[in-house]
Amino acid sequence: MPEQGLRISNLRCSVAGNEILKGIDLTVEPGRVQALMGPNGSGKSTLAFSLTGHPSYEVSGNVELDGEDLLALAPDKRARAGLFLSFQYPAAIPGVKVANFLHAARQAERPGDLPPAKFRALLLEKMEQLGIDPSFMGRYLNDGFSGGEKKRLEMLQLAVLAPKYAIMDETDSGLDIDALKDVGASIAALRASEEGRKTGFLIITHYPRILQYITPDVVHVMIDGRIVETGGHDLAHRIEREGYDKIREKIASVV
Amino acid sequence: MSSALGTLPQTHELYERLASCDGTLVDAAARSRALDRFFSLPSGHERPGRFWRVDFESLVPEAAAIDRNGGEIGFENPDPAVVVCDLATAAREHPQLLSRAFATSEIAANKFGALAYAFAGRGVFVYVPADHACDEPIVVRYHAAAGSAIFPWSVVLAERGARITVIERITAGAGAFVCAAAEVVTGDHADVTCAVLQDADPEARVIASRAARPGRDSRLAWNLAELGGALAAGDLRVAIEAPGANAHVTALFFPRGSQHVDLINTIDHRAGEATSETLVKSAAAERGQARFLGNIRIAAHAQGSDARLRDDALLLSPTAHVDSVPALEIAANDVKAYHGATVGAIDAEQIFYMESRGIERDAAERIIALGFFEPAVEAFPTAALRDEIRAALAAKLS
Repeated sequence: MPEQGLRISNLRCSVAGNEILKGIDLTVEPGRVQALMGPNGSGKSTLAFSLTGHPSYEVSGNVELDGEDLLALAPDKRARAGLFLSFQYPAAIPGVKVANFLHAARQAERPGDLPPAKFRALLLEKMEQLGIDPSFMGRYLNDGFSGGEKKRLEMLQLAVLAPKYAIMDETDSGLDIDALKDVGASIAALRASEEGRKTGFLIITHYPRILQYITPDVVHVMIDGRIVETGGHDLAHRIEREGYDKIREKIASVV
Repeated sequence: MSSALGTLPQTHELYERLASCDGTLVDAAARSRALDRFFSLPSGHERPGRFWRVDFESLVPEAAAIDRNGGEIGFENPDPAVVVCDLATAAREHPQLLSRAFATSEIAANKFGALAYAFAGRGVFVYVPADHACDEPIVVRYHAAAGSAIFPWSVVLAERGARITVIERITAGAGAFVCAAAEVVTGDHADVTCAVLQDADPEARVIASRAARPGRDSRLAWNLAELGGALAAGDLRVAIEAPGANAHVTALFFPRGSQHVDLINTIDHRAGEATSETLVKSAAAERGQARFLGNIRIAAHAQGSDARLRDDALLLSPTAHVDSVPALEIAANDVKAYHGATVGAIDAEQIFYMESRGIERDAAERIIALGFFEPAVEAFPTAALRDEIRAALAAKLS
């Protein structure tokens, strides 16, 4: 039995010759929530894309998903292995209806597990759970969606695909206060669901505000491509009070 | 394989063939003049250059290939209040009605329209009386046998306040040549939808000339799906001569293999306060090539016109080629005119997004490309026809 978890060790990543990630070690266990906080440009989103296999990123190191060598897999296979990324900026795909897309994704990840009628029932159930209007199903994927709608659709995908590990990249960014409340409620509902309790989460965020809706077990702080501090939920509160500068100063004084 | 196309120096054979055709709707002198125009006029289509393989100027039907019966013609009419008949019957039983629409457009003034006119006589006439709403679509079928040449002509006349949908299906066997024409004339407040599904053999050639004259405050939709043929060329004109008309032209095509598509759409705003909307969605793969020329003309007195032209092309292989040429000629000063065109490959971020949901790259590309066509597909009448087009596009994508 391989060791459970999304186990990242010495992950390095370069984009166009610039090293962005300078050796990341991090483990996301099933059912647990890791928060990764950091200022803009610290490499948080690069980590998300490196793990999911974005073609623009040159990645080295080792990542295992429940014992499987993740970096050896193409992006679609990583997803089928149980990895999910909630995008900061989800792509709009005009002409592709949400319901059809989700069905294609569910079929790809779990071939033949649900006949269309049952899939539809599942979709409606998840939409109700997350407080999402059923009219979403007939809309084109992210096309003309508001920022909040896009993020809620990401949450719906997460609920329908029920991955083993979910990375949420800046899910709260670009949302006004009402949209944040709606998206936050979706996240809380998701986390409270039967599948959501088993999922391992990596919450990538600049602001601690999203952590009101999903409580982290561990908080990491990333600066300049390195994890510089790890602590409990109280670390997030400290960042809220002090910002990232205090941590920056501390690193500078060590160097 | 036999081919319905010959080489240029067979003029006399064609004239002789023409003289021997019975049941034509055009008198001998007019036919001869039309054929003269066919031989003398430039096509207006792309000349072979760096990219283009098809030389329209040398396309001539083989006289011996001309099918005197006009191929197989079929039609379904679910509504007894609507007249649907072949052109010969229309000429015999409804000559007055037919003459209000047949050859009343500028079709015979262009090269291939003149050819179709010279041989005009086989085709279908559809007539909808005033204020009659026909809810079931009228289906018209034209089929050219392998190696044959046909010249089908559709005529649709919808009276004031009439509503109708006509679906024209064009098929052709290998080596066939179809030189088609269609004319649509509508009364005031009419609502007419015409859809064409062209699914000829990949070794056939189909050239169509189409023209519409919508009435005052009428709605006219013309939807073209050019899916088959080694060559699919079309010249579609909507002449807006009555104020308040509302014209929607939608075209989709997808050349792959060595298919070639060349469409010219012209919306002529000659009356004010009318709107037109043109939507073209195309993809090209392998050595497929296409050109779309979208003309919008707004005459000086056509104030208050609102013309929109949107044309998107998706390149699925580096060897595929699509040329998109919007051309606006606006002489009025109080109008709205918009045109937008895009040509490009599938966005890598869209593919990655799909892949990140477990969908394989090939499947992702297929889903995205089908979605790309969807706004055009949705304009077509009937769910069954839309599904048929989606299936045909999906087959071309796999």
